[in-house]
This record gives sequence, C-alpha cells and structure tokens, in this order.
Amino acid sequence: METAVNAVIGALVLSSMYILVALGFALLLSVVGVLNFAHGAIYMVGGYICYQFSVEFGLNQWLSLLLSVIIMGAFGLFLEKFCFRPFFGDMYGTIVMSIAIILVLETTVNLLVGVHIRSLPAFVPGILRAGAISLSAERLLTFIIGALLLLALTWFIRKARIGQQMLAVAQDVEGAALQGIEIHRISAIACAMGCSLAAVAGSLMGAIFELSPFMGDYMLVKAIQLVILGGIGSIGGVLAGGLIVGSLDAVLPLFASGALTQAIGLGIIIVLLLLRPQGLFGREVT
Amino acid sequence: MLLESKGLTKYFGGLAAVSHFDIYVKQGEAVGLIGPNGAGKTTVFNLITGLFPPTRGTVLFDGKDITGKKPHLVAKLGIGRAFQLAPLFADFTVLENVVASFHLRPRSSLWDAFLNTATYRRNEEYILQRSMEILQLVGLHEVKNNLAKNLPHGYQKMLGMARALAIGPKLLLLDEPIGGMSQDEIKLTRTAIEKMCKQGVSILLVEHNMQIMDLCDRVVVMNFGKKIAEGSLSEVRENEEVVQAYFGGKHAA
Amino acid sequence: MTEKQGQGKLPRIVIYTGLLAIVLSLPLFIQSRYLIHIFNLTLINIIAASSLRLIAVSGQLSLGHAGFMSIGAYTAGALAKHLGWTPWVTMPLGALATMAVAVIIGYPFARLRAIYFSMVSLFFGIGILAVNQVLEKFTGGYAGLIGISPLFSGSKVANYYFFVGLTVLSLCVLYRIEVCRIGTTLKAVAQSHVVASSVGINEAGYRVLALAVGCFFAGLAGAGYAHYNSVLSHSAFNLLASVNLLVYVLVGGVGSFAGPVIGTAVLIIIPELFRMLKGFVPFIFAAIMILVIFVMPQGLAGLPGQIGSWVEGLRQRKGTAHAP
Repeated sequence: METAVNAVIGALVLSSMYILVALGFALLLSVVGVLNFAHGAIYMVGGYICYQFSVEFGLNQWLSLLLSVIIMGAFGLFLEKFCFRPFFGDMYGTIVMSIAIILVLETTVNLLVGVHIRSLPAFVPGILRAGAISLSAERLLTFIIGALLLLALTWFIRKARIGQQMLAVAQDVEGAALQGIEIHRISAIACAMGCSLAAVAGSLMGAIFELSPFMGDYMLVKAIQLVILGGIGSIGGVLAGGLIVGSLDAVLPLFASGALTQAIGLGIIIVLLLLRPQGLFGREVT
Repeated sequence: MLLESKGLTKYFGGLAAVSHFDIYVKQGEAVGLIGPNGAGKTTVFNLITGLFPPTRGTVLFDGKDITGKKPHLVAKLGIGRAFQLAPLFADFTVLENVVASFHLRPRSSLWDAFLNTATYRRNEEYILQRSMEILQLVGLHEVKNNLAKNLPHGYQKMLGMARALAIGPKLLLLDEPIGGMSQDEIKLTRTAIEKMCKQGVSILLVEHNMQIMDLCDRVVVMNFGKKIAEGSLSEVRENEEVVQAYFGGKHAA
Repeated sequence: MTEKQGQGKLPRIVIYTGLLAIVLSLPLFIQSRYLIHIFNLTLINIIAASSLRLIAVSGQLSLGHAGFMSIGAYTAGALAKHLGWTPWVTMPLGALATMAVAVIIGYPFARLRAIYFSMVSLFFGIGILAVNQVLEKFTGGYAGLIGISPLFSGSKVANYYFFVGLTVLSLCVLYRIEVCRIGTTLKAVAQSHVVASSVGINEAGYRVLALAVGCFFAGLAGAGYAHYNSVLSHSAFNLLASVNLLVYVLVGGVGSFAGPVIGTAVLIIIPELFRMLKGFVPFIFAAIMILVIFVMPQGLAGLPGQIGSWVEGLRQRKGTAHAP
C-alpha cells in the first residue's frame, strides 16, 4: 500500500519537475513556433547563476533565484535579437544556431567550473513524513511551483493580451502581422519568458540534483518527449505529456532495471506517437 | 460508365459534408459540378481520389471498386487531379514539375533508373518530349524553365493541369481550374480543356465561374452536401432550388 | 558578360579525378599517423553524413542517424568477436541489418510529418542504445565491445586506402540515386506529398526507400568503424554523435551533394588542427557553425556559387561606373 502511495507521489513529483523544465521550451515551440534546442543549456546556466550568487557570493537563495531569472530573461532578449531573428523562417539556420549556442554555453561553463561537483542547498530543507510515506520538502516545493507556473502560463495564453498575440503568431504569422501584431516584439517577450522559466527550473533542480555543465542535455530530451507527446500547440498537452513521461519514469524502474526501463519507456512513447502522430492534444498537421 | 458514385456520404464529426451523393461520368463526357461555397464539392473530389475514405457509399471507376483506395493507386488506375489551391513541386521548374509527374507511364523500374539502362534512357527521352507537348497544350511552354513557386497564381493552376495530364488519365478532376485567373489565362485554360476533350479525356469539373461551364455536356448542382439538380446548363439554371441556393436566402460566404 | 560565357567550366570529371589523385597521394606527404587516423574517421563520417542527407532529401530530417550506425557497428562487431567471422562478411551484414531495421520501423515512421519524424528519430537513436545495453551479452552494453578483429592490423595507411575506396563507392551509389528519377521522385515527395500521390507516387513507400538506403550506408559506416577501431562504446553513437552528423550536413549545405562531404571534412579536420587549445576546441566548432549560417546561407558547398555571384556583382558595378 505504502509503495503504491510512494509511487504515485514519486510520479507526480517527477512529472511536475519535467513540466517545470519543459514549460519554457513548450512556450517557444507551441506558441512562437521556434524549436530552441538550447533550452537545456539555458536551464543549466540558470542553475549555475543561482549557485554563483547564493553559494559563492553569499546572497539569499531566493534572491539569487530572482537574479538568475532576470539575467536569463535578459539573455533571452539577446538571443531573440541576435541569434533567432536573423534566421526567422529558416529552419536549418535556427537548428544550427541553437546547437552552436549549446556548445558555447556548455563549454564556457565547463571551462569555468570544471569537474568539481556542485549542488545548491535546498531552498526549503527538511523531509515530511506520514508513516512510511516520505517526501522531501524541496521536492514538494518544486511540485507546487511547477503546478503554479503551469497554471499561470495557461492563464497567460488564454487571457492576457500578449498571450493571445503569441497564439496568433503561432497559428498564422502573416495573418498576425497583418493584424498589426509586432512579430519580433512578441517573439522577444516569449524568448525572455522561456529563458526565465528555464532559469527557475535550473535553480530548483540544482537544489535537488547535482549541477553539471551537461545536465541540460538530459532535460532537453525530456522536455522534447513531453511536448511532442502532449502535442505541439497545446500547453495542456505539456501537462498530459508530463504526467505520462513522469509516471513512466517513476513507475517503470519498480519493475525493471536501468536500460530496460529506458528502452520500454521510449518504446511506449514512440508507439503512442505512431498511434496519434500529432500528439495527444496537438494541432492536426497536414 | 467511366466513373460512378453511389450513395457517397462523409461525416466529419456530427456534420455531413457529403450526403447520399450520386454522380456519374460517361466515357468522353465533360461534367460540371457546381454549387455554393461549402456545398461539399472538393470533399467529393477528395472522396473519389481517396484522400480520406467515405463514411458510406461506393465509388466505381472503369468497372473497378475504388472506394477508399489510396490516392496513388487511384492515380494509377487513371484518375488525374488538379487541386483548387494549386499545390506544386515549388522548388522545381515548370518543366521539372511535369517531368517528375511522369511516374506511372512509361514505368521505369528502380533498377532501370539506378543502372541507367537503355530502357530508362529511352523512357526519359520520351518523357521529356511528352512533357514539352503537354506544356504546349496547356500554354506554359514559354515559362518552362521558371521556378514553379515564382509563377503567378493562374499559371500555377495551369501547371496543376499539366501535371495531372502527365499520368495519361482517362478521367481528369479539375477543382476550380479558372479560379482567380485573368481573362488571358482563362482563354488559355479553356483552349487546353477543349483540346483535352478532343483527345478523349473525360472531365469532371468544379467551378464557380460560369465562363467555362458551356464546355460541359451536363451539370450537377450540389448544396449542403446533397445533389439538388442535374441536367444541361440551361435546364439547371431554371431549376427553382438551384436559384434559391445561389440567389435566395442567405449567401454562403 | 561575353567573356564569361567564353570561359567554359572545367569539366567536372577533371576536377574529381584531380581531387581523387590528391586524396590517394596524401599518405606520401603526411607522415603523422595521427593525421591519417583523423582522415580515416573523416571518411567514415562522410559516408554517414552523405547517407543522412539522402534521407533529408526525401523530407525527413533524422536526429538518430548515429543510432542506426550503432546497429551496423555492433552487429558486425558481435559477429566478428563471438563467431569469428571475417570483416568482409560482417560489414555487409551489419549494413543489411541496419537496413532491415530501417524498413521495419520505416513504414510506421513514414506517417509522421516533419518535426514529429525528427523527434521520434531522436528518441529512436537514444532508445537503440538502451536496447543495446539490454542485449549486453552480445554487445557488451555500456562497458563496450572490445577485441573486434581489425581490418588491416597495424597499418593506418592500409585502412586509409580501404576507406577511400569505400567512401568513393558509397558516394557514387548515393550520387547516382539522387541524379536519376529515384532522386527526383524523392525530392518531389519532399516538396508536396499530396501532389506526389496525385501523380501516382507512393510517397510513403519512397520515404521508406530513402530511409532504408540511408540507413544501409549508416550501418556500413558503423561496421567499418567497428573493424577499424576494434573497440566500440556508446559514446561514439549517442545523441551528440547524431547531432554532429546533422551539423556536418547542414553546415556543408543540405541542398548540395557535396555539402556533407565538405561539411564533415571541415568540421572534423579544422578543430583537430586546433587541438592544442584543448578545452577551447568546441568554440572553434561553434565559430565555424555561426560563421557559415550568417555568411553562407547555402552552406559551405554554396561558397563557390556565392563567390561567383559576388565577383559578378563587382564586375557589373565596375561596368556601370564606366558607363557614360
């Protein structure tokens, strides 16, 4: 019984972590139509910046998180203007550009930080227990923040004017431009938001797992799994995708070991996509 | 009877886009399919060519049941199609578009093509020659080396027709062939269709613009997915329901 | 203008024969066995990148190509190590095994459009390594497979000539496919599958064909690598490896057959020349990438064309400056 409850809690927590990481990526892909492979690297840098301010400079950890969010948001504006805008509409150029960004970010951090293992102290220390069921407060915090941000983003897309404009751009760029929407301004805001969300994720995850210059690679793949499975064009799809992938990753290891779980998990995701090629809630692609 | 559909029905969700639709085309005929926007004409074409299967009903072509067969198989059996929005092989030239469309006849096997056999070379020469002929017929031979995506919209439509002719069709489905064309382009297209009819190609034509409807032997009128009238153009013009559909009540957008 | 028309282009066959002569004679001038080793790796990757491009030409951008290479590599390696078969048998078998897998998954994958195909191929590339670990009794799993019989032991130069031969053969096959009607049909399918099927092209079938042929050569390259390196480990076939192959193709220029060849050569050899920079080498790689996408929209292979039109533009401007 307790294993079942722990499994469910584990699935929910893992799902929320994946969703938290994927939100920024989903925003850019679903809403603005940009496949930002560099998202994982940005997530990583966000975590390191928080570490730098809190552990190295001694600032309050929440303040450091805020600073990371602001810095990465500004970086997002820089990215949009100098890296993505020149290749607007050029898929291959965007792909190569984002891979180049990954290389630069990861190599820089690797050279600066190197092999030393670093990790952020927990934002909220302690472990909650109820009988044989336990949950670290940090993970609960991550779950709560992940859920809140998901709700906030959904509200933003549905209700806020800028969110609606982003949706318009995603569905029909020319039409949106004709309506007077400034495409580049919207893209810049979306990029800044995406990077800020990545920074939050990186900082929170840096407190649960270790920081490494290549931690973004694994999370990028997870984010892609979520968004593709949930369907491009739907933030709700991120929730669905997150729950499925999170549950698979939390529950499968109870039944099988290591590589087999990875193979089965990926196999299930691939089969689901073959059954429904546009993802669960995705727009039908002709 | 070259083409015959019986009871063709297609539901999208709860909405019947096409309902108990019967249409036939005899060998050598040119039949027009008209109706207000949204009447279901393009859906009928999609059902015939197998883009999606019908919910109910059958389609017979040249004695065979082709209901729900995949598009490339329908093409193989001899039905060619020119689309309404004129999709093309955008990065190919006009000539390359037509040459690429000679996939079916004459058929070179993969090995023939790879090994550059005599059969393959002979076929390719023939294809090049036929492509030029088709471009002449359609009126595009002057622009044969232009990129398809750079053509004006009317020319792109004519290219769509040229491509459909490349498969040597028995039946040609033309979806709004003169929609959005200038008068010159319409003249060219009209001449082309006349030539095709003379060469024995049967035609099923969807159009709003009445300028080429007189080319048709017979006209079928559709509204809300159903057939509402059939006959010669003048008969159909007098039909009350048809007048209602086009002029009475609300105009379909 | 008239002067330019008078100058003919050097016949292609002369250029290629010249290049081949240079390539074949390189070992005479280059003493460094390490550099020959780099050339061998470059040749293997050229086969892989060119085959990736064939798949891309049919409209499917694969992000799991290194995963397919691993199928060929580990099939050949396992057959050689456990059954003692000769490389001349294991390599074709490795290629065929990879092609078989491609055909099996190709039909369901062909239903996926564009970005969904790319992402599923990415998952496949990662997943195949997981499957590899599950089969670790045969493949050695994460620990790797060692002791594969080498092709020509002790001689990097002998391997070099073998790979030159293999690469030239592979490129000839891939080139012929692209230039004949098969290639035209693949490009047609990539541009509009609706139009393609309306003229009788079995567009799903052709995409599977592209995937099958592309993966055949990926497997061949992988198998060749297995017998060259004698040791196989997952790090040669992971997501990074797939991404590298894609970058070679895109930077070289996906629109041109020579693109992957040039891109691979430049992106492997130039960073090697800077290897004294150690940890900074990825910056060189990134710099080349960024330079190319900003300055050469058609990739490195488009450079002659771009220089040509740039020179032409200068000439015209000079001409008008002198006009009355």
